[in-house]
Amino acid sequence: MVGTTTRRANTRVSSAERKEWLLFALLVGPNLFLFSVFTYWPLLYNGYLSMVRWDFLGPKVWVGLDNFTHLFTQGDFSFVLWNTFVFTVSAVGLICGLGLAVALLLNRSLLWRDGVRAVVFSPVMLSGAAMGIVWLFILDPRYGLLDILLNYVGLESPNWFLDTRWAMAGVIVVHVWKNLGYAVVIILAGLQAIPRELYEAALVDGAGAWGRFRAVTLPGLSPIFFFLFITTMLASFQSFDIIHVMTEGGPVNATTTLIYNLYDEAFKATRAGRAAVSAVVLFLGMFAITLVQMRFSERRVHYA
Amino acid sequence: MSRNDYRTISRRGLLKAMSAGAGMAALAACAPAPTTTSGNESVAGPASEPVTLLLWSSYTGRNGEAEQALVDKFNEEMGDRDLQVDYQVQGNYEETAQKVTAALQAQDAPDVALLSDVWWFKFYLNQTLAPLNDLLESQNVDVTDYHDPLIEEGLRQGVYWWIPFARSTPLFYYNKELFDAAGLPDRGPETWDEFNQWAPDLVSADGDEPEVAAFVHPDSASYIAWLFQGVAWQFGGAYSNPDFTMRMTEDNTVDAGRFYHDTVHAYGWARPSKSIGEDFLNGFSASMMASTGSMGGLRQNAEFEFGTAFLPEQDYFGCCTGGAGLSILNTTDAEKLPLAMDYIAYVSNPENTVFWSKSTGYMPVRKSAATSAEMTSYYEEFPQFKTAVDQLELTRPQDSARVWVPNGDQIIGKGLERVTVLGEDAATVFADVNDTLIAEAAPVLETLAIVEG
Repeated sequence: MVGTTTRRANTRVSSAERKEWLLFALLVGPNLFLFSVFTYWPLLYNGYLSMVRWDFLGPKVWVGLDNFTHLFTQGDFSFVLWNTFVFTVSAVGLICGLGLAVALLLNRSLLWRDGVRAVVFSPVMLSGAAMGIVWLFILDPRYGLLDILLNYVGLESPNWFLDTRWAMAGVIVVHVWKNLGYAVVIILAGLQAIPRELYEAALVDGAGAWGRFRAVTLPGLSPIFFFLFITTMLASFQSFDIIHVMTEGGPVNATTTLIYNLYDEAFKATRAGRAAVSAVVLFLGMFAITLVQMRFSERRVHYA
Repeated sequence: MSRNDYRTISRRGLLKAMSAGAGMAALAACAPAPTTTSGNESVAGPASEPVTLLLWSSYTGRNGEAEQALVDKFNEEMGDRDLQVDYQVQGNYEETAQKVTAALQAQDAPDVALLSDVWWFKFYLNQTLAPLNDLLESQNVDVTDYHDPLIEEGLRQGVYWWIPFARSTPLFYYNKELFDAAGLPDRGPETWDEFNQWAPDLVSADGDEPEVAAFVHPDSASYIAWLFQGVAWQFGGAYSNPDFTMRMTEDNTVDAGRFYHDTVHAYGWARPSKSIGEDFLNGFSASMMASTGSMGGLRQNAEFEFGTAFLPEQDYFGCCTGGAGLSILNTTDAEKLPLAMDYIAYVSNPENTVFWSKSTGYMPVRKSAATSAEMTSYYEEFPQFKTAVDQLELTRPQDSARVWVPNGDQIIGKGLERVTVLGEDAATVFADVNDTLIAEAAPVLETLAIVEG
């Protein structure tokens, strides 16, 4: 009797479980299918491509790790990695730092505040390619707007895109300008979510402006910054349009980042294998950063 | 921990892994889409239905308008035969070649494609082009009427694969007003030594920055390797021999590189430029070497009178051909092949060659067009173009290192940027370039041995 009851209970549990799993499969299945076809399969296929020599037309020739060996021992790949590091760190730092400054400014009672917010956000909605072309005119060292402004204060514009020392700075400026509004909007939302009471309590405790910023604002914004770091870093890794339009990775290779190197190898040199190596390195780099950030967020990010 | 706990973790874990992996993979997995395996669909219908030829090309602006006019004219004349060309611009030469490559993978390639001098060979090597000898004969195309250096570039082992259409050569352009203001004669320099004497007079300085340079060097993306090729020849050097023996490290080639270096970093009368055409048009450069294909746009936009001249000599005269031609992809249905050849023959026939050359500045690819009454009268009206046509007879095909080694143009171009922009020594740079070219040529030689025996 006891055994029969247990069996019935097990059957009920099992049946309920089955239904739950079926529901789970129905909900997850379509997405899993799409991810498998459009994400995981290309990822695996890319891994395979990184070990062949292929010009997209002829037969694929298995070369093992030769593509990796080539990129890491010859050519300018280390320079490409360095460029990617410089671009990403500068862009993320500037977007988050300037974003915070502008957001703090726009969080105050200002005349035309909503209009200014809209203006600050508007570059986010513009095409990177069109923006790149406009900025080429602005930064032109002979007739650009910036040159005219610099001339007023007795300075000459650098030759932004023909000087390897300035070219990277030029594309970073434009990338930051395009993405600043996004950070401002996110940080503004975070600022407004911090309870007023905390500021009032800090004020009662005698905290000054810096103290309130350090003890209330920054901790309150930590989940926002965690989110921003990840999203702006991913956007920086992927930044292609501005570089393509403004410098095509040059002069020499001064603005060739991993994603641009991938394009160069794949579509200009038609070397699928070496392009795939760039993709593998990009994937591993981003995966590692994401893991670190996730671990960091578990320990240090405060959710209000 | 209950089974439910495990199950919950399992689902969350799965979803977490999916979302994390998806984010990463979407960014990093930029492999091309897997090849589709569907068969090549026949576009051509029954004889009574209109046949559409798909043409992919690269021209925009004035040149694009001229090509569109040719297509429209063809479609109008072929209306009775129910033959229409669907003309689609795919971007510049590189982008067009990239898209043809992708389309071949997807088995959805155009019938006719405009392929540049550095791209057609890749498609030939991969056996994706249709041989044209029989089609040329069946459609009564007079091959002997094409300029020999141009038609022979698309010839491999007695078979034509690539028919000249928008062919060009480098040409020396100079701003007559600036030359006159500097007290120079109204002609191009005969030698680089002569230009080296003239050039300081053409430079006008504004503070530390030269406002007007005597000459400008393009970047690799704007084909500095194409323009420098003639200079290497003028110094007695070359990029390579036809058998892929690389010659970048030969003294004469290095001397040419050092000359380019010195024009910027020692003499100071030249500078690198992101757009030599814009610099020239805006008066920021008194002269430039550029394609004859730029002449139509210059004529339309220049607010000053410009002159054209043969490229300066050094120890020798040297000038290469360039530009693009038309090929038929071998995925084209058999019944459409003659029609595709009809289009190629039509746009490169003497009458349309005259129209195309006058509109764009590209070379008249047919001998009869170059000597026609209409063209002769055009030479009188626009003598700058006559210079380009006269120079055509002195041109020679390009070095294999640039046109047949994959990415050879950019490998050499990036090296030249190191010389002109960074001021590195040509000997060091060219040694690097030479090694890269040798390595990149190896697979081509292997494939060539298979294809041509």
